Amino acid sequence: MRTAVVPARKHHHTPAWWVGSVLKVLVGLVFLVAALFPLAWMVIAGFKSKTEVIATPFQFFPEVWKVENYTQILSDPSFLLTMGWTSLGALLFTVLGLTVNSLAAYAFARLEFRFKRTLWVILIGTMFIPGMTILLTSFIVVTRLQMLDTLAVLVVPGAASAGVVFFIRQFYLNIPSSLEEAAMLDGCGRFSIFIRLFLPLSKPPFVVMGITSFLAYWNSYVWPILTITSPEKFVLQQYLATFRSERSTELGLLMAGSTLAAAPVVILFLIFQRQIIGNIKMAGLK
Amino acid sequence: MTSSTAERSPSRRAGRQRHDTFRYRDGKVAYLLILPVMILLGIFVLWPAVYAGYLSFQNWSFYKDPEFVGWKNFTDVLKDPLFYATIRRGFMFVLMTVPVMLVLAFLFSSLVVSVSGRFAGVLKVSIYIPTIISTVITSIVFVLIYDYSGGLLNWVLAYFSIDPVAWIGDPAWALLAIAVPAIWLGMGLTSLIMVAAMVDIPQEFYEAAAMEGANWWQKTLYITLPQMKNIILYLLITGFVAAIQQYELPLVMTGGGPLDSTTLPNLFIFNHFRNDVNVGYSIAAALLLFVVLGTVSAVVFRILNSEKLVD
Repeated sequence: MRTAVVPARKHHHTPAWWVGSVLKVLVGLVFLVAALFPLAWMVIAGFKSKTEVIATPFQFFPEVWKVENYTQILSDPSFLLTMGWTSLGALLFTVLGLTVNSLAAYAFARLEFRFKRTLWVILIGTMFIPGMTILLTSFIVVTRLQMLDTLAVLVVPGAASAGVVFFIRQFYLNIPSSLEEAAMLDGCGRFSIFIRLFLPLSKPPFVVMGITSFLAYWNSYVWPILTITSPEKFVLQQYLATFRSERSTELGLLMAGSTLAAAPVVILFLIFQRQIIGNIKMAGLK
Repeated sequence: MTSSTAERSPSRRAGRQRHDTFRYRDGKVAYLLILPVMILLGIFVLWPAVYAGYLSFQNWSFYKDPEFVGWKNFTDVLKDPLFYATIRRGFMFVLMTVPVMLVLAFLFSSLVVSVSGRFAGVLKVSIYIPTIISTVITSIVFVLIYDYSGGLLNWVLAYFSIDPVAWIGDPAWALLAIAVPAIWLGMGLTSLIMVAAMVDIPQEFYEAAAMEGANWWQKTLYITLPQMKNIILYLLITGFVAAIQQYELPLVMTGGGPLDSTTLPNLFIFNHFRNDVNVGYSIAAALLLFVVLGTVSAVVFRILNSEKLVD
């Protein structure tokens, strides 16, 4: 760390050092509060009664802490159904994505085949197609394919991703080929090498890309509002947005619902924060 | 290589064929492995892209057959004052978000690299948490914070005897009111990329500077900033591209209003798509936006990249 540069014997515990340290802690706390305050307020507002969330005069803490909002929304079958439906979709999306993308990543990292370069350029080229353009025409395509209002329309179209293939391929390129040669001498085919050798080693890129996919699905809103119309098939974000417009007075309940909707991904992030933050280095410098 | 061509010029072709047969011995497996990705991308990305190109020259809706109209959709978009207004608004939004994010992220990473490991860890995790929160939840929370009579923001302002503002109800303030949650959502990634780049600057530079008695400000100006030029350029361009394409926040927070004051380019296109029967217009607008976006990115890159980069 950079503090090590400052010759310790001279500067430690001088008034200037103390002022500097206190200042750093204060600035750090400002960042911390700015990042977490809106969420903290959301969680706390979930304990408020209907009228307290945006009462005049404003109150940060509730008069009486009510657990009712949380228990009520957790016993609402439509909320639970939506949570379950979204979790199922997110899991399917993640598993399907990791499967197809890692297979392609392995082929592009290790195998030789005709038109490899051309296919690779096409694959990478898909990352540069403007999102809004294909959002509109993809909608037309899934309409034609009669996929509207099904789970498939949420899971399948976004599963293959050039970015994910690229990321996993980078990782596979760094696996020493001597391991593979040994396996080939033992008579393993390419596919069984992938299953027995590469897959067990794939945990780091799978964790990072798996969480990225899960998050993308969990937080998606625009594609679902275009393609899903039956309320019982709504995804979580769609449910919250509809709740907000249709039951706009029940703010305490809305805040409790939002808190519960954010909780799973925040927990997931906190569990894997080391891997996710560690990966950002690569993303930035590639 | 087919076998018939190999027969005609025996030795070389045959050798080449043997070579290729050996080289591509895994070809079949390889095609099977990439097939799922290629089919999916083909149906849901490549085909829609080609189709968009086609439809941009047609007058088409879900209810009628396409009719070729040449460049009409493009000229319609380019004649539409609302399109220019929305692009201008997009640039305003970029100016409201990207510079603030870069400065704050720079400050943040300067702080993170100068504090102890544990505090740095807490800071990094905290700043990244908003990144994983959905746009919908962010919108719900911020709209309530902005509430005119019972919201937190006007309550704080009242302490300084400032009159309440209708943050998202007043066209003068609405875009700024959307810029704040956009910064809140985007800060995490920008900051952590900055931190990663700052950690990578060789320590010796700072040691040498410290020997000559340089203060923090001088070190930042003569060492940190020049060393981070690449990453700042990268963040500037990706920040621009992300900000000008933002539309989920205004979609949920204001729907584009009041008086179109938050109709950012992509929201303009999205709303058009949902309301206008002629899909060609929306697609032409999306393609034109992409041209604007690509041009500006290229110009920014050229200008800032004109000197040889320190790598």
